[in-house]
Amino acid sequence: MILTKKEEGDSQREEKEVMFLEIHNLKKSYGDGESRTEVLRGIDFSVAKGEICVLLGPSGSGKSTLLNIIGGIDDADEGYISIEGEKTADMNEKTLTKYRRKHLGYVFQMYNLIPNLNVKENVEVGAYLSDKALDIDDLLKTLGLYEHRHKLPNQLSGGQQQRTAIGRAIVKNPDILLCDEPTGALDYNTSKEILKLIQEVNRKYGNTVIMVTHNDAIKNMADRVIKLRDGQIRKNYVNETKISAEDLDW
Amino acid sequence: MKNPLLKRLPKELKTDLGKYLVIFLFMTLTIGFVSGFLVAGSSMSAAYDESFEKYNIEDGNFTLSSKASQAQLERLEKEGVRIEENFFVEEDADADSDGKTDGTMRIYKNRTGMNLICVMKGELPEAEDEIAIDRMYADNNHLSVGDSMKIADKDMKITGLVALSDYSCLFSDNSDMMFDAVKFGVAIMTDPGFDSLGTAHLSYRYSWQYDKAPKNETEEKNMSEDFMKVLARNVSLTDYIPQYSNQAIHFAGDDIGGDQTMMEVLLYILIVIMAFVFAVTTNNTITKEASVIGTLRASGYTRGELLRHYIALPILVTLAAAVIGNILGYTYLKDICADMYYGSYSLPTYVTRWNGKAFVLTTVVPIVLMLVINIMLIYRKLTLSPLKFLRRDLSRSKKKKAVRLPAFSFMNRFRIRIILQNKSGYITLFIGILFANILLLFGMMMTPLLSNYQKKIMDNMIAKYQYMLNVPEDEEDEEADADSEENKLTLMGILEKMLIPSLDTKTEGAEKFCAYSLKNMPKNRDGESITVYGIQDDSQYVDLDFKDEGVYLSDGLAEKYNIHIGDELTLKEPYADDTYTFQVAGTYDYPAALAVFMPIQEYRNTFDKAEDYFNGYFSNEEIKDIDEQYIATTITEDDLTKVSRQLTVSMGSMFYLVNMFAIILFAILIYLLTKLIIEKNSASISMVKILGYENKEIISLYLTSTTWVVIFSIILSLAAASWIMTAIYKVIMMDFSGWLTLYLDPVIYPEMVAMGLGVYGFVAAMQYRKIKKIPMDQALKNVE
Repeated sequence: MILTKKEEGDSQREEKEVMFLEIHNLKKSYGDGESRTEVLRGIDFSVAKGEICVLLGPSGSGKSTLLNIIGGIDDADEGYISIEGEKTADMNEKTLTKYRRKHLGYVFQMYNLIPNLNVKENVEVGAYLSDKALDIDDLLKTLGLYEHRHKLPNQLSGGQQQRTAIGRAIVKNPDILLCDEPTGALDYNTSKEILKLIQEVNRKYGNTVIMVTHNDAIKNMADRVIKLRDGQIRKNYVNETKISAEDLDW
Repeated sequence: MKNPLLKRLPKELKTDLGKYLVIFLFMTLTIGFVSGFLVAGSSMSAAYDESFEKYNIEDGNFTLSSKASQAQLERLEKEGVRIEENFFVEEDADADSDGKTDGTMRIYKNRTGMNLICVMKGELPEAEDEIAIDRMYADNNHLSVGDSMKIADKDMKITGLVALSDYSCLFSDNSDMMFDAVKFGVAIMTDPGFDSLGTAHLSYRYSWQYDKAPKNETEEKNMSEDFMKVLARNVSLTDYIPQYSNQAIHFAGDDIGGDQTMMEVLLYILIVIMAFVFAVTTNNTITKEASVIGTLRASGYTRGELLRHYIALPILVTLAAAVIGNILGYTYLKDICADMYYGSYSLPTYVTRWNGKAFVLTTVVPIVLMLVINIMLIYRKLTLSPLKFLRRDLSRSKKKKAVRLPAFSFMNRFRIRIILQNKSGYITLFIGILFANILLLFGMMMTPLLSNYQKKIMDNMIAKYQYMLNVPEDEEDEEADADSEENKLTLMGILEKMLIPSLDTKTEGAEKFCAYSLKNMPKNRDGESITVYGIQDDSQYVDLDFKDEGVYLSDGLAEKYNIHIGDELTLKEPYADDTYTFQVAGTYDYPAALAVFMPIQEYRNTFDKAEDYFNGYFSNEEIKDIDEQYIATTITEDDLTKVSRQLTVSMGSMFYLVNMFAIILFAILIYLLTKLIIEKNSASISMVKILGYENKEIISLYLTSTTWVVIFSIILSLAAASWIMTAIYKVIMMDFSGWLTLYLDPVIYPEMVAMGLGVYGFVAAMQYRKIKKIPMDQALKNVE
């Protein structure tokens, strides 16, 4: 189901917009009694199809938890997430796995590549999950990894490993690409290279990208910026001055 | 698209080749050996079963005191049987031609009707001084075709090695507890050759077959009993053995395949242990690859896909081991197993047969076991959420509190932590060591057990000679009187009139006794033969004081059937329903047989015998003044120690094999599990290296904890293994007739500990090198 909704604070956009991902009153806490910590305290926002949405916030603000709930690998105490109208909370374990398999691509700060598979095979691990997988060699060229396709992860630089991880996530052409601090372990230049790649993938394949970062500068490449603090949304706006990742600076 | 994770499998295999190869080789050998055992067993069993028809085996035989007349034979054949002469001569044999007698050879003429011969090697004799001897006897006495041996002081040339179909097991006497393929042999000579041996040691044995084969065992027994009565009335019978009770024919058949269940159980236990090893190592791999698994699960890989991935290699290795093991089983190992049977029995040649059941037992069952155990242990871990994998938090309990340790030194606390951290690996190690030690104990205990049994028998022999006499039974059958003319020739007639006066001896120290064989009546199993002795008061041979009412049991009987003083023991007639119940007053050290001792007078009363009845002599001197034909059996030291001697010959190589097997198992388990523990801790080892610990200190931390566990496991498992073995031994011995007293030689224990530690020392040295090689950057790499 495609939802049509007007976003608050979205003044410069068209009045009505097709929203792809909707998050409604999401709450999550850990622990009991005195040690209870509320990580998310009622999160509401929507993301349109094809948008790059950056979740910004300091450590402990709940951004990774939010991403994990969107990714179906964690569950909320209250509220729901719907993707094209389908609520993930209603799904059982099996359906959730199918949902992840069909709709999601994941990129983590740690690349989590399979050490004894080469670059191409690591990307194939993602392709296997989809019946609409992208051409692997084309993708490897896009990722700039074609020459390295026979190398094992430990023969690659950090940036190359992260590109492989992005390749693995994107090759199945997912509707949503979830990136958890994808540049957290990388230096400035490599980080920019990865961000450029994410932007390029987004442009080329039209996937919705949700990226968690604590790097404030990255917000400039986003279509939508959501700032979190103490489990609450402090800001949610459409970035009218979106720039190319190439031009980011921090 | 094929699952790309499949591409990992050959790489995994290559990376951890040591582990997979060791497990593969071990399983291949185990499966191969069991497959070979089952195939050889079923093939030989089939050959054995067919031999009854193929070699036209008799339905029974009887021995007469003199040659039967044609008229007598015709009279007997009217009873619906065919009778054939099967005379034999028993002569002293000197296998190594050194001038000293070292056994007995029972020689037959070549047979053309019943009990045909299977020529295993060479050919049948053609000249008077040629002989074809039993292959088993030849093997045990290192004789082969072309050799010569002395029989009755004559040189004989061996032309062939044969198997006599009525001697698949070399029992010289049907009442023997054990056969003797070392000192007793059978042979075939030409008719002139046989005749040249004279008649001094000739036995008039006849074999018979029923014209109409009995339909079942009951009918066979009835027919045999009827025929015996007819024989007793018509001829002078000295021995009567229907086929079903002929141990020389049936013992091998009952034994072949008899150990199948034990072999199968052994195989399954070993597969289960290997499955645990796989599961423990796979769980370790899963822990190591937690974040990758988390990523894959987050990307949509199902638990099933990952489970299949992680159990693929254990299953593939098991499958490969099953296939290659079976190939080896059907080719090379089958022959080794068959040789084990050929090492005990004189069986005819066999043809290898396909054994579907064995194939299932050695392929499907191990794979299913491997599958079930791995799924059980691995799936549980994979049920953790993707998030937990991503966070490398694979503990199930929410808050895992660290176990508080007493104020030991830092190093000792560190070691205890290592043990706690590797609980599952160490528990598998303990179970493996326990199982290996049970096997090792079995392999090592048997030889001293048999020597001890032999020694005990000799220490507790009643007398150097026990003579059992052919004494007429009180014939109540009035039919016997019916044919008065023929009655003169019956066993009863002759014995009554001629034997009784000659049963006395002037041999110094000879003491009369009575003995009779009854059967006990244990619950849920067949009874076995128990000899009931009637002993004279103040006997100089049996040191028993029958003050209390009741009977004394040989210690083996009491031990085997768990009978205590004050219990009642009920015995029955073997072929009738009469039962006798005795009160147990005590036990008597007599390991040679399962026996009951009672005062001779009570014996006579119980079995309704005359006041002066006896049917045997105990004597330390050889009795020479009783005609040999009235002596049914003479039991000497040689006869009593036959069991231990033959078991040592038949099973000696198996005990050795079991020992080897146990040590290999022991070494494999220690190698795999210490390797696992070191791999699991490689990051920590690397880290403590970075911190400045020296190799010596690291070894003392990581290897010492394993050494503790190994020493503890060995010692504890020895106690447990002894306890388990005692229980298993009793179960095994229940299937055998008689009882070999369980004896665990104390020397075995330090030997086992030494062997265990020796193997561990070797493995530890390998792991020492491995620890030394762990690079310092491993800790840093593993952070990722």
